Amino acid sequence: MKKHLIGRPVPRKEGRAKVTGQARYVDDLVFPGMLYGATVRSRVPRGRIKGISFGEGIPWHEFTIVTAKDIPGENYVALIAHDQPYLADGAVNHSEEPVVLLAHPEKYLLEEARRAVQLEIEALRPTFTIEDSLNKKEIIWGEDNLFKSYSVEKGNVDEVWARADFIVEGEYRTGAQEQLYIETNGMIAVAIPEKGVTVWGSMQCPYYVHKALMALFGLPADKVRVIQSETGGGFGGKEEYPSMIAGHAALLAWKSGKPVKIIYDRAEDMAATTKRHPSRTRHRTAVSKDGKLLGMEIDFVIDGGAYTTLSPVVLSRGTIHAPGPYFCPNVRIRSRAVATNAPPHGAFRGFGAPQSIFALERHLNRVARAIGLTPEEFRRRNFIQPGQTTATGQVIRENVNMNHLLERALVLSDYHAKTARFARENSGQRRKKGMGFASFMHGAGFTGSGEQYLASVVELEATPQGRVRVLAASTEIGQGTNTIFSQIAADALGLDYDSIEILKPDTASVPNSGPTVASRTCMVVGKLVEAAALGLQQTLVGSGYLPEGYTPAGFERACKRYIESHGPLKSSSQYQPPPGIHWDDATYYGDAYGTYAWAVYVAEVTVDTVTFEIEVNDFVAVQEVGKVIHPVLAAGQIEGGVAQAIGYALYENVVWNEGRMFNSQMTNYIMPTAVDVPPIRVFFEELPYSYGPAGAKGLGELPMDGAAPAIVNAIENATGVSIHHIPVMPESLMEALAVTEKAVERA
Amino acid sequence: MQAFEYAHPRSMTEALPLLGSRWGETEILAGGTDLLSLMKNYVVTPKRVVNIKGLRELRGIRGTPEGIYIGALVTLEELRTSQPMHEYPALAQAAAGVTSPQIRNMGTVGGDLCQRPRCWYFRSGFGLLARDESGRSLVPQGENRYHAILGNDGPAYFVNPSSLAPALIALGAKARLDGQNGERYVALAEFFVIPKSDAERENVLQPNEILTHVIIPEGAWELSSATYEVRQKEALDWPLATAAVALKMQAGKVASARIVLGHVAPIPWPAPEAEKSLAGQPINEATAARAGEAAVQGAKPLSGNRYKVQLARVAVKRALLAAARPRSIGAKGGV
Amino acid sequence: MPDRVNKAEITCTVNGETLSLKAYPMARLLDVLRQELRLTGTKEGCGEGECGACSVWIDGEIANSCLVPVLQVAGSEIKTIEGIATGEQLHAVQEAFISCGGAQCGICTPGMVMAAVNLLERTPHPSETEIRMGLAGNLCRCTGYMKIFEAVVRACQATGVKA
Repeated sequence: MKKHLIGRPVPRKEGRAKVTGQARYVDDLVFPGMLYGATVRSRVPRGRIKGISFGEGIPWHEFTIVTAKDIPGENYVALIAHDQPYLADGAVNHSEEPVVLLAHPEKYLLEEARRAVQLEIEALRPTFTIEDSLNKKEIIWGEDNLFKSYSVEKGNVDEVWARADFIVEGEYRTGAQEQLYIETNGMIAVAIPEKGVTVWGSMQCPYYVHKALMALFGLPADKVRVIQSETGGGFGGKEEYPSMIAGHAALLAWKSGKPVKIIYDRAEDMAATTKRHPSRTRHRTAVSKDGKLLGMEIDFVIDGGAYTTLSPVVLSRGTIHAPGPYFCPNVRIRSRAVATNAPPHGAFRGFGAPQSIFALERHLNRVARAIGLTPEEFRRRNFIQPGQTTATGQVIRENVNMNHLLERALVLSDYHAKTARFARENSGQRRKKGMGFASFMHGAGFTGSGEQYLASVVELEATPQGRVRVLAASTEIGQGTNTIFSQIAADALGLDYDSIEILKPDTASVPNSGPTVASRTCMVVGKLVEAAALGLQQTLVGSGYLPEGYTPAGFERACKRYIESHGPLKSSSQYQPPPGIHWDDATYYGDAYGTYAWAVYVAEVTVDTVTFEIEVNDFVAVQEVGKVIHPVLAAGQIEGGVAQAIGYALYENVVWNEGRMFNSQMTNYIMPTAVDVPPIRVFFEELPYSYGPAGAKGLGELPMDGAAPAIVNAIENATGVSIHHIPVMPESLMEALAVTEKAVERA
Repeated sequence: MQAFEYAHPRSMTEALPLLGSRWGETEILAGGTDLLSLMKNYVVTPKRVVNIKGLRELRGIRGTPEGIYIGALVTLEELRTSQPMHEYPALAQAAAGVTSPQIRNMGTVGGDLCQRPRCWYFRSGFGLLARDESGRSLVPQGENRYHAILGNDGPAYFVNPSSLAPALIALGAKARLDGQNGERYVALAEFFVIPKSDAERENVLQPNEILTHVIIPEGAWELSSATYEVRQKEALDWPLATAAVALKMQAGKVASARIVLGHVAPIPWPAPEAEKSLAGQPINEATAARAGEAAVQGAKPLSGNRYKVQLARVAVKRALLAAARPRSIGAKGGV
Repeated sequence: MPDRVNKAEITCTVNGETLSLKAYPMARLLDVLRQELRLTGTKEGCGEGECGACSVWIDGEIANSCLVPVLQVAGSEIKTIEGIATGEQLHAVQEAFISCGGAQCGICTPGMVMAAVNLLERTPHPSETEIRMGLAGNLCRCTGYMKIFEAVVRACQATGVKA
């Protein structure tokens, strides 16, 4: 028995289906007699529904029409709180809120009909900004507009200000960002009152959809079935909203008795579904004259939109990541998720951390400048070391060496020579070059006790032919779940890659391995795959059928004999927290994550100070992620995340018009193209983590955290101007450069 | 999109009677790169769509004693790559500025000139002039970072989206418009107009006419020309500001100059003051900068687009410097 | 109302097979390929010609099928992703996309492969700039494009690419 697959770039499991166009996404599926569904949405951000009327010229009798009163069970999307309705009933709290559902066999007519439904809504005064929400100009949610607040206390911040040599303050903002998976959201539902509800669709979390449909229809678990179809990208954007669309399709199917397909078009997907939370972070930092952090006071606020959705957990991750990979003896973090009358913001790769890390990594450059140190020297003096504690009191047990990562990143990017050269050459140039970096970490898996609550399960099943099936609800959304699970199971069992099959996530046949989010699939669920595989092997060894040093043929014989005499050969594994992990939800104290991935990213930019055009010319990403299971997939995750973060920093500007996304099309919400991305050079450090499969940690979200501050730090290095918000639009760069229209271009 | 009748005439004689007498009834389809989006979003809802792709007489680029005839169906890719166009760098560069190969293969010269504004209000159903119920434009106090800085006394604030128009106007091109009563020729500089109501269009084409050809006058190949675009992103996006210039040089000095700005006004915006400032001058940093300055003298930025004044000024300067350099073709003209 | 509009009949060639089709005038080539012909490898990403997921070849040229009314392709030769491999034998570009990690979620992949093969048929040994420009009409949100560039380079090194 040999282990030979982990660490090797085996071909993607479903690669052939994808490059030939044979992979089946939800819109590729067709059911006999299927209707198409559409959603009538509020154009008003806040108000009372006074009436719904159906315009002339449409054969309404041919349509299935669903409103809130048709809901058989509970009218809320079950997630954390129960405040978001499936269909607005009486009140609307954001524009794009669903009010009426329509279904018809003919797509073209359906769109005509959707436009002919008029919602009469009495408008109420809406709230659109974090400030207005905090000031309680209007109470639009609960008693105080606050979905959630946290406070983290370490040491005694109040007493540091008096003895600080430097106190540096700053405020930083980030905008909303659209996930922009290239496959829009979609679902197909079959629902028959006596039989139950089945949905197929694009999603990250089959059991989230399952739970939501049970509440919506008042059905027991075995009457609801959720099947993932091939999913064309998620990035967090298909974590929660698929529950909404699945419910809508199922309501139409329930009423019509026919299969119903709902596929969002791009504009609807962008305007109505969740985006990254906009944020405001304020820092007040006390530093000694030898450049040591004495105290950090951080006020972190995110705009949650109209309903709770995932805001409490996004806020949690953003809060815990806000002090970064640094040691500071005194820390106070106050964080709040506030309500506004925008469509709810939600999960997006990084999940709160890109917002608070942007603020921190911009702010620390400001602090370094204030005390007269280079950005790298200031960070060197403050990086967290093994044995030290984070803001939540977590003792760093791993052999973290941020100084080494920083050194390596600076060498690989030729940082010192380039900064020196650019400083010499920029003078008098209109196109100025600069280097910038960010140091950061990302916790893998659910925060705090989250993984214990999830208690995820994975099963493995062997066939008499010696093939092994992995049964998990973890979805393949492009990141490589199928491939790495196969590698892990094959290596644990000493089998070939092709002997492993990954069952398509289907709640009727796979156990709940938890949601496909939070960089947890490889580290947490992969570990369960590994454990279940070892369990399977032990069963065979224990039964005496599997000799030591077996071959794949020996494994096949053992499976056959076992199944013949004992019946099905299965093994399952359930999550157990690593020993010594403690977390207290009440005090927000303890081990926030089992482990972290650590990174330093360096960006090289050119800024045209006359046209405000910004190019990223080179990008170096150095990270420690534990054992790399698949070098090509892992690098692909980093490269893709960096490209998304380049968009976050420079292009992707969600423009709001009365609470609606104004630029909800790919023609006016712009993301990086093949011509815009720099070479993205990825380097891994591998310190095996004892509680990950073969030593692996999570890495999917990490690249989203550091690229934006590295780029904006590089802009500062190039131009000397400090920008405190992203995206950096040409007009904001102009303001920062204080170029008046009278300024004349210099050669 | 709404249902429509589809016509696919085989000749101009067949095509012209199919056109309506009022805007909105009929739309002409060529490359489809703009029309299909407009129809999908119900911004236009024609009863009939006339596909002119079958009209052979609208294809091809040919030299005549009067100049180069460019058929309305010539694609941006043909324009970018065809040999005769190498004599007109400003035009080839403008075509290359449309970075998507797919759009260059599909998009046509006629379509580029007649495409509708990208104004978000227009595209979201607020009408061409983006007016509220009281008839006031939403733009000056609204989302106007991509709107006009010149020619924006109202009622229109959108910018003309054509990639080719500034270069063609700088080269002195005219358009041939064919109707049932025969053809007429209009200088492209006169082709674009600022509409006064939502019912009007952005050019002088009549609803029952087809733009069939663009003619670059004989002699234009002598001009030194260039197009310079300022962009936020390199591909799949419209420029923020464009300048096209065409210079007649004599002994190293400017004998005459045409300078036209794009994406800054409801029509391609000529810059006569900038042209005058160059008369008798060589092209160098100083004269080019002065011309850029003169080009934006009358600019009146809105609340959110002051930065575009700077971009327009720089575009003029860089286009002039590029035109004065030996010829080269590329997305940015080798600048 | 749409159902009162008559379907028109057109003839065109799809992946080498000559077909006679009946379609509504408003039907886009994309819809006819996906719904009538069940060639669902061609994807819709935006419906506006921005993302390139619906890329097919029309008479040898790469085009966005979401912007083409099907009646416009009467008499044309269409090639879709389903026509790129030769039976079970993948095209070198497809092989390279698998081995280099050029496909992640896979939704942009068919369009990206169509653009990449088209590029290599015109420019068998493209420079990096030519690769970037050749793929400038196709958006990918997963890969950051690096692995796609690698795949194109590897495909032109491999044998079997038509020059």
